[in-house]
Amino acid sequence: MSKNSLTKWLFALMLALLLVVAACSDKTSEDSSDEPKKSEEKEDEKDGEDSEEGLYTLEDFNMDASNTGEPIGGTLNYGLVSDTVFEGTLNFNFYDGNPDAVVIGWFDEALLGMDENFMYTQDGAATFETEDYVTDEYPDGVTFTFKIRDNVNWHDGNPVTAEDWAFSYEVIGHPEYTGVRYGVDFAEIVGMDEYHAGEADTISGIEVVDEKTLKITYKRSNPSLLTGGIWPYAMPKHIFEDIPIAEMAESDAVRKNPIGMGPYKVDSIVPGESVVYKKFEDYWRGEPALDEVVLKVVSPQTVVQELETGGVDMVNAFPADQFVDNADMSNVEFLANIDLYYAYVGFKLGNWDAENKKVNMDPNAKMADVNLRKAMAHAVDTDAVGKNFYHGIRWKATTLIPPSHPEYHDAENPGFEYDPELAKQILDDAGYVDVDGDGLRENPEGEELVINYAAMSGSEVAEPMAKFFIQSWQNVGLNVQLLDGRLQEFNTFYDRVGQSGEDDPAVDIYSGAWGVGSDVNPYGLYGPDQMFNFPRYESEKNSELLAEGISAESFDLEHRKQVYKEWQQLMIDEVPVFPTLYALEIVPVNKRVTNFSVDRASDIYYDENRYKIGVTAEEAEKAK
Amino acid sequence: MWKFSLRRIMIMIPQLIVLSIFIFVLAKMMPGDALSGQIDPNIDPERIEEIRVQMGWYDPWHEQYASWIGGVVTGDFGDSFRFKMPVTEIISQRIVNSFWLSLVTLILTYLIAIPLGITSGRYNDTLRDQLIQGYSYLGFATPLFIFALVMLWVFGFKLGWFPTSGSVTPGLEPGTFDYFMSKFYHLLLPALSMALIATYNTILYLRNEIVDTKQKDFVLTAKAKGASETRIYNQHILRNSLLPIAAFFGYEITLLIGGSIFIENIFGYPGMGQLLVESVTLRDYSVVTATTLLFGAASVLGALLSDIILSIVDPRIRIK
Repeated sequence: MSKNSLTKWLFALMLALLLVVAACSDKTSEDSSDEPKKSEEKEDEKDGEDSEEGLYTLEDFNMDASNTGEPIGGTLNYGLVSDTVFEGTLNFNFYDGNPDAVVIGWFDEALLGMDENFMYTQDGAATFETEDYVTDEYPDGVTFTFKIRDNVNWHDGNPVTAEDWAFSYEVIGHPEYTGVRYGVDFAEIVGMDEYHAGEADTISGIEVVDEKTLKITYKRSNPSLLTGGIWPYAMPKHIFEDIPIAEMAESDAVRKNPIGMGPYKVDSIVPGESVVYKKFEDYWRGEPALDEVVLKVVSPQTVVQELETGGVDMVNAFPADQFVDNADMSNVEFLANIDLYYAYVGFKLGNWDAENKKVNMDPNAKMADVNLRKAMAHAVDTDAVGKNFYHGIRWKATTLIPPSHPEYHDAENPGFEYDPELAKQILDDAGYVDVDGDGLRENPEGEELVINYAAMSGSEVAEPMAKFFIQSWQNVGLNVQLLDGRLQEFNTFYDRVGQSGEDDPAVDIYSGAWGVGSDVNPYGLYGPDQMFNFPRYESEKNSELLAEGISAESFDLEHRKQVYKEWQQLMIDEVPVFPTLYALEIVPVNKRVTNFSVDRASDIYYDENRYKIGVTAEEAEKAK
Repeated sequence: MWKFSLRRIMIMIPQLIVLSIFIFVLAKMMPGDALSGQIDPNIDPERIEEIRVQMGWYDPWHEQYASWIGGVVTGDFGDSFRFKMPVTEIISQRIVNSFWLSLVTLILTYLIAIPLGITSGRYNDTLRDQLIQGYSYLGFATPLFIFALVMLWVFGFKLGWFPTSGSVTPGLEPGTFDYFMSKFYHLLLPALSMALIATYNTILYLRNEIVDTKQKDFVLTAKAKGASETRIYNQHILRNSLLPIAAFFGYEITLLIGGSIFIENIFGYPGMGQLLVESVTLRDYSVVTATTLLFGAASVLGALLSDIILSIVDPRIRIK
């Protein structure tokens, strides 16, 4: 009896709990629909403040450090901003994390120089000539002849040879290679496919002519080759030749005593946290200005304090969301340039056909109507997003080629103007009208239209920004809901958007961003057979323009510009995605740092002219 | 005694097996994998696919588990995808750091807690006792990660007394005296941050034990025989009161592991806790499974240690 009543009590308790839980969830869902309005009000208030002060543009920044004094040697403390350690795969041919790339950049470098338009120059450690290569199999091939300068040496004193350069191709192309670098750029070399498949022992398209001369033959000549399509990194063969390829990445030659040909040589490494470099006096461009460089990992949470106290003189990247609060740090100068980056909103138009390795556009997809997409692009005030959320250091994007590529970015194309009335008009005309009187539009068939929006968590502004977007779309009468009612963590987000080809059909639209490469060619992101074409968009005109952009005719710069101008317009007309924001890359430097510039056209641009960077005082300046 | 320990160890084995299955399956269920971070137009997606197949990430989970556990039994945790080297090697680099951090923390904890506990027990219900109790309740209530951040900000950045990240000053020769001192200097602040607020349970246990023991008959006898106060406290009471503290020692290890995850991340101290968090966010499965398994094993061992110490101290436990 008593046991029985106890069970009854328990049951009642559970019921009561269930009610409470249900009530709670009810309340939260109401709350979330209220919140966007609140946050929008807040934004409006902020807007008022911002228009008076606190907005930044590229013009507010210098590109060159104002200190132009004579360097005195000494030690530079360099902060690698990262919330993880650096992995320690210290070789261009094997690394895959960005922190490692920063560490390698101080002691090794590319053999080919690059100018501000990301074209290879003849100013690097190697020069090159091209000649046509015509056979029946490859009617428009091309052969590059590279000559490495005589004074280019490895840190151990051995000369950098053509063998060393060819060796990096042999390693990356090898079937046992463990890294991520192998790809189309390599497969384009004559004989590489056979070598990669293990059918040939050598790569027939690569020929070592003499100690300093290397010939590489490509199947098809295309302008991308001149803008980043060649693998420009050599590997010291005399050190690696006895190590089996599968074990190279974990060998001491990569992890403990790496050597390179850059201005500084590695002196000591504390795995994951710091590296000390010493000057390499025989550096081919000239004697480096610093005696020593100390690189250490700095977490994004403490980077401001490190800069203020002079613990580091400069960092590789400064977190954009901390800039405004620290813009007036007295001992540091903030330099900026346009980042190779754009953020965008993508529309899922189909899915990935894994069998045929191409996109499969679905004419019945929820977002298949171009008018709907256009209206959504017009409905968002991206200009306000940049001002309110980023104080101008990110700003309205217009096309899918960012202004970091000034030759190709179509500055005259206005992109999508913010015009909610136009958006409503487009929707009305296309048949998206409110049938049932709930204030939200139905689709042309009169069925309820709910659009699921996937957004990524991570930054502080991720949530308010997602709400701003949703509110903007609701303002023109579209029922857009945050996918699952919450932001998606990075891995989940890209899994569902389709990084492995298994697109989640629940995602209708998503907010993403791309860091673009030095090569302007957008094929890897919008080509019909590309996995990273997340909208799963394809059209005849698109394929045609993308192919035209890397055709032999496009060696003519004017022609190529014209092609990409048309492509940028096509993307505006068809809207598989629409760009939202461009960004500034912000680099803080201590006032004792001299000969430093983030201007890609400058003769002290930090990447190639790293050896010129110097300091003008023994101790770093501290903030007052 | 041996029978008890043996039986206790036998129970541990199925615990560890179940733990390993849980860890492995949960790790694999996390969305994304170590290559999701490589969404970069400069890297060929086909190459990524190729690597996924090479790594066996598409095999059914029980096959992956079998090959993994097979390796674990022989001490091979596989290769870390992210670091491109054997997991055992990375862990051996990191575990040294974590070991020293834990050791120093433990020593500091006891150095702070034992004198305070004794004082508080000996002079119970005086102002001194209340102050010490106040401190230990404060420690109990303060979240570790906030306290650590405050310590870092005050002593690391504002006063500049301690280094703010890393485990050693760059450029020192390993094995030298300077290197050793620099390592110690780097772990002092994190260890102190953890020790200062991890003392509460030791203080309170000790206090209660002393207050209890004070009223026992043998103490009265000692007093009647005319032993001095100091002698009574140091010889008779303390020795009896320390027993539960010794028994608690094993569980202290478990607490340290939890704490190290916060502490190492805040102080940028490259130990096991930091390795675990990074590997989880970057989906470096082999490292995640290996570190969690080691943490799990350490907790189970800690509990075992406590039980064994207890059974030595208190024979009644053995009988059961």
